[in-house]
Amino acid sequence: MASIIDIKEECALHVRDFEFTYKGAASPSLKKITMPIAKHAVTALIGPSGCGKTTLLRSFNRMHDLYPGNTYAGEIEFEGRNILGAKEDLIHLRTKIGMIFQKPTAFPMSIFDNVAYGMRLQGIKNKTELSDRVEKALQDAALWKEVQDRLKHDANGLSGGQQQRLCIARAIAVEPEVLLFDEPTSALDPISTQGIEKLVIELKERVSIIIVTHNMQQAARVSDYTGFMYLGELIELGHTEELFVTPKEKLTQEYITGKFG
Amino acid sequence: MTATQKRIIMNRVALTFSTLSTLIALAFLFWILAILVMKGVDALNWNIFIYEGSPPGYEDSGLKHALVGQLILVGLATLIGVPLGIMAGTYLSEYGKNSKLAHTIRDISDIMMSAPSIVIGAFVYAVVVMPMGHFSAWAGAIALGIIMIPIILRTTDDMLQLVPGTLREAAFALGAPKYKVIKDVVYRGAKAGILTGVLLGIARVAGETAPLLFTSFNDNFFTTDLNEAMPSLTVTMFNYAISPYEDWQQLGWAAAFILSMFILGLNILGRLILFFGKKRK
Repeated sequence: MASIIDIKEECALHVRDFEFTYKGAASPSLKKITMPIAKHAVTALIGPSGCGKTTLLRSFNRMHDLYPGNTYAGEIEFEGRNILGAKEDLIHLRTKIGMIFQKPTAFPMSIFDNVAYGMRLQGIKNKTELSDRVEKALQDAALWKEVQDRLKHDANGLSGGQQQRLCIARAIAVEPEVLLFDEPTSALDPISTQGIEKLVIELKERVSIIIVTHNMQQAARVSDYTGFMYLGELIELGHTEELFVTPKEKLTQEYITGKFG
Repeated sequence: MTATQKRIIMNRVALTFSTLSTLIALAFLFWILAILVMKGVDALNWNIFIYEGSPPGYEDSGLKHALVGQLILVGLATLIGVPLGIMAGTYLSEYGKNSKLAHTIRDISDIMMSAPSIVIGAFVYAVVVMPMGHFSAWAGAIALGIIMIPIILRTTDDMLQLVPGTLREAAFALGAPKYKVIKDVVYRGAKAGILTGVLLGIARVAGETAPLLFTSFNDNFFTTDLNEAMPSLTVTMFNYAISPYEDWQQLGWAAAFILSMFILGLNILGRLILFFGKKRK
């Protein structure tokens, strides 16, 4: 009964009849999900705990492959191919589809090395190019002014909000097509949260963004499209204003008005 | 007497007994240390570092042979035990995880850790000394290295597991292959802990005597030949201490003091690294 909007513009990803089963589970955690992800727009995934939104997000860069025994079915189309294929080059895929985690994940190295890490993985060794791109990424992540004098310092000395922006800088430095945000502000204070949200909106000019959030206000503030998930199913996908003001599904309405969740 | 009073009295009795037990245990420890320091400092002089062993009664006798031998044996053991221990610990934490094989390795390593060190010595005697036909520094170092492996393996395993899984995922999410995730992110995160494990492992084997008795044996003269018997502080200490000659006994005390200080230093250094490593985070 799902009500899924048809996106006319170009799409970054197409999910078709996607199912995901965790190792040893009797039934799939994600059931027959079909959704387009608009290019250069922010798509938010909302829903109560355990509805599968993070599971879906982690399928886009095949994070589940780190733990053997999980199975995918259906199709996720990206750049004209199904990325669920057995021959998919996961290393290449993950440079194209970056991820920001719930808790800041600054590596135990300097601020500069953190941002340069992804580029070095791609074999960029030229010092001028590295430092130019590190500066650019930090500027784009609105962190440059705060850290330009201490690029050689340990990244763990930064505050939580700064570390999260560092992780964003690190992810955008490799110029991905898609960025996945997994509740990026749930460990941050309100001011840092505001900064991250502003960044998300700015970044969508260059990358397509999918953001999982517990916070409906956040989804309303930052996203162009919102998907509501419940018990492993995508119940509704629509333009954000429409979904929040005039939801088409009864479940969506009950959730956004706080009747459950 | 009310229940509360009863509880207060019980509490005092328990506290008194546990405090007394602690004091008795500490008293012995400090007694040992005090005698060691008094006799050891008394026996210390420059000759110890300049001269090698000599028959009893000579003025110019020292411990140079045993000091250098000890450093060579422990150094070689470190070269053998540390890479094997760290690599095995890495396998357990990053590849084996909760598999049956990994659990079996952990159990066996725990058993090895509590195995009497003389048994390891006997093993090396059988597989190294017998085929070679003579005692050697190699045999001693191999015995010490084997004792070191389970210690370093377990600390490496534990310390790597302390590195949050999200940090690994973040590195994978940037497109890092597994070996680079381990090398660049996991090892860096566990650096202080692994180094501490290594130092404690070295400190542990530096005090071993039994496995050296029939592997590197002993020698009263200076040597750097790894294919020959090699003196060590511990075995030298043992031989000198049970000898009837007073000047040898003096040298034994000096050896005991130097070795204890070396091990104490390693332990303190290990703890400092861990302390400052944690504070930085």
